[in-house]
Amino acid sequence: MNYLLCTLFEIKWLPDIWAVILVSVIGFGVVISLLILTVLFLVLAERKLLGFFTQRKGPNRVGLWGVLQTTADAIKLLCKENIELLSSDKFIFTIAPIMAFASVILLWCLIPYNSEFHLINSSVGVLLYFAIASLPMIFHFLAGYSSNNKYSLIGSYRSLGLTCSYSIVLMLSVMSVILVSGTMDLDKIVLFQSKTWMIFSNVLGFLIFFIATLAKLNRCPFDLSEAESEIVCGYHTEYSGMRFAMFFLGEYAELFVMSMLVVILFFGGYLPPFGMYLANAFMGNCEFCSYLIYFEQTIWLFIKTLIIVFVIIWIRATLPRLTQVSTLNMFWKYIIPISIFNLIMIIMMRALW
Amino acid sequence: MDKMVLNLGPQHPSTHGVLRLLLELDGEIITSVEPEVGYLHRSLEKMAESKSYIQYLPMVDRVDYLSGFFYSYAFCNAYETLNHIQVPEYANYIRVMFMELNRLASHLLWLGTYLLDLGAISPMFYTFREREDIVTYFEKVTGQRLMYNYFVFGGVRHCDIYLDEALRIVDNIYNKIDEYEDIITENPVFLSRTKDVGIISKQKALDWGLTGPNLRASGILQDYRSIMPIYDDLEFDIILSSEGDCYSRYIVRIYEMRESVYIIKQCIEYLQNINLSNVPLNNFYHKQKQHEGEIYSFVEAPRGLTMCYLKSVGEDTPYRVKWRTGSYYSTQILKDILKGVYLSDVMSIYGSLDVVLPEVDR
Amino acid sequence: MVKKIFLSIKAILKGHFAVLKHLFRQPVTMEYPEVHPFLSPYFRGRHVLEGCRGCGLCKRVCPSDAIIIEKNDNHYVNKYVIDYSKCIFCGNCMFYCPTHSMKMSGNYELAKTRKSDLLTDIYFKGV
Ligand code: SF4
Ligand code: SF4
Repeated sequence: MNYLLCTLFEIKWLPDIWAVILVSVIGFGVVISLLILTVLFLVLAERKLLGFFTQRKGPNRVGLWGVLQTTADAIKLLCKENIELLSSDKFIFTIAPIMAFASVILLWCLIPYNSEFHLINSSVGVLLYFAIASLPMIFHFLAGYSSNNKYSLIGSYRSLGLTCSYSIVLMLSVMSVILVSGTMDLDKIVLFQSKTWMIFSNVLGFLIFFIATLAKLNRCPFDLSEAESEIVCGYHTEYSGMRFAMFFLGEYAELFVMSMLVVILFFGGYLPPFGMYLANAFMGNCEFCSYLIYFEQTIWLFIKTLIIVFVIIWIRATLPRLTQVSTLNMFWKYIIPISIFNLIMIIMMRALW
Repeated sequence: MDKMVLNLGPQHPSTHGVLRLLLELDGEIITSVEPEVGYLHRSLEKMAESKSYIQYLPMVDRVDYLSGFFYSYAFCNAYETLNHIQVPEYANYIRVMFMELNRLASHLLWLGTYLLDLGAISPMFYTFREREDIVTYFEKVTGQRLMYNYFVFGGVRHCDIYLDEALRIVDNIYNKIDEYEDIITENPVFLSRTKDVGIISKQKALDWGLTGPNLRASGILQDYRSIMPIYDDLEFDIILSSEGDCYSRYIVRIYEMRESVYIIKQCIEYLQNINLSNVPLNNFYHKQKQHEGEIYSFVEAPRGLTMCYLKSVGEDTPYRVKWRTGSYYSTQILKDILKGVYLSDVMSIYGSLDVVLPEVDR
Repeated sequence: MVKKIFLSIKAILKGHFAVLKHLFRQPVTMEYPEVHPFLSPYFRGRHVLEGCRGCGLCKRVCPSDAIIIEKNDNHYVNKYVIDYSKCIFCGNCMFYCPTHSMKMSGNYELAKTRKSDLLTDIYFKGV
């Protein structure tokens, strides 16, 4: 990013402000295209994996091995009619999916993809991340509330109730990470892990964070706000066409970005797992290598993320759904005390070392 | 605080058909329930009065499409007892074997869909995989997958049953049941959904007329198989559980599947020892005068006691046919046990009762 | 308490690995239009009629009145129509035919675009 900015600054006829805007637009475009591609891939991967887990073949009709299936689905969704109830609150009903998707896009901009490409580089990156990450849930609530459907209403207040339980846990476990690394900058947290990954010094924190992530993502076993066997589809029961696609794609984009955050916080982000870049190992220290490394870093990040995503899908294939009551019980009675205990342990460790 | 009236059904992902539950909600707690049935009424009882016995026999499978053999058996048995038709012993064994296979298929389908109601995806596909084996076997023998029309008055349609394949299927299922138990039985999430949820006490179960696995899960020893003459030579245990919650209903069904496998194996052993290719077939169209009288025949179906009341006045058509089905009583009890539970427990309770709506409405 | 947590974690892991095992098994999907299922000789699909005497017994045992038999002046069968919108493939017409002239084939692809196409004349006129 900085490199690109410097080259643009050197161009005489381009005003500096335009250079900055140009770089942001390019970066944003890269992030968006990355998002769309990964989401399309992710939906396919989930369906394929769930198929394999249950001894089926998954989608395999459109394109080779069904690779174009999700693209076809997305196009079909975009072409469909937007059905709207007469009694729904039109403005909120329309704006909610757009805003929910937009806030997820914003989350994607906060992630350091490699040591250079970091669109929004803030010294309080983690805090900013969680501030924005709590937005989609509000819009899910608004969507359910405005669509004037009882199932949607139940789904939306379930998701509110769920928020009360997971967000505290999420912040408590992130706090332990911040305490260990001593910084809130995502870039620096990654670099802090260049010797050992965070997970080795903070196992309990990782487990808690992972469970809270599942709850945050509305994934199994915490998918009670859209439990299709109880309340049909939860907050997006009344949505169709493009608006439904926004919720749907936004959910998968959030799944991927949260998994990326897990990797960044606990598995060394874009750093290679064995202390050495493959590009360097094979080609020595050439100039070309230093460019190649950026790609390699991004690939490492994505590989680690995909492993996390695989685990999440695996959990979805196995576990039944928890109820609202047992989720709240579990979080408030067990996980919050454990995470506070974990925090105290971390503080004591910091004080002793 | 105002109460919300939620209309669950008739089209809902997990009512397994078209049941309508009028729920009155206080927050997520249910204060009153009104189950409404009748959306799938096909007048199978009235239809009998205008069709001859032979014509009515294929319809009987359609009372409950998941356990057609039981209904065929109940109707055939009623007719045979009324007209004093002797059923050969081998035919009885074949009937028992097919009924137990059907019970396996029905319980497997219940297990899969119940877990789908609870939110687990994979077990449904696993149980359907095994059920597919059974159903394909039925198709091979009887000609169709669900509507068999295989039992006839006085025996079975033909004796070309592929015993080796049946043996392979039940052996496979016996191993697979362990696999399901690995995934489900001890899973704490599953336990939290089912343990101490939807408790039906002994007295309540008797009062509302529950039968079958639901009654046995409440701790009452009642299995009509033990007094049915065709089960006389077969050994099996009656599965009993005492708690009466969803979990014990699950356990009862899981163990019943194992018992079914034992029974099927005994039948196969018997059938392998006789030469099925030259047994006489009682496959005839009754031209003689029908006897007068009325009769009640019963069979222990997967969803409880199934009874067939048949009244004949000596005509070619039955004068009156009445079905008593287990699911109807399981639906009734919802009114009592759903009061005061959370909305998310509705599906785990309703699912555990194994209600099949076509059977409720007939 | 600790033991309970430990046991539940063990149970969850056990379940997960039981599911994971299936990842390495052969899929059981049958890709239908390309692969057709195996059908036994007893399968009850579309009817095949050969050498019918026109006794009308099949019409009497049919539970859904799906059979229409049309005879000419010499009391020979002229047309033997099965209404596939009514037929439930119970097989009664095959089982009770005294001359065994009714058979049911393995043809189960019955979809038609018009309802009138479902009224099918299956009488084999001979050569
Ligand atoms: S098909 Fe058989 S039963 Fe029907 S009319 Fe012809 S000969 Fe008679
Ligand atoms: S198969 Fe059954 S319903 Fe169809 S024509 Fe024959 S007797 Fe009638």
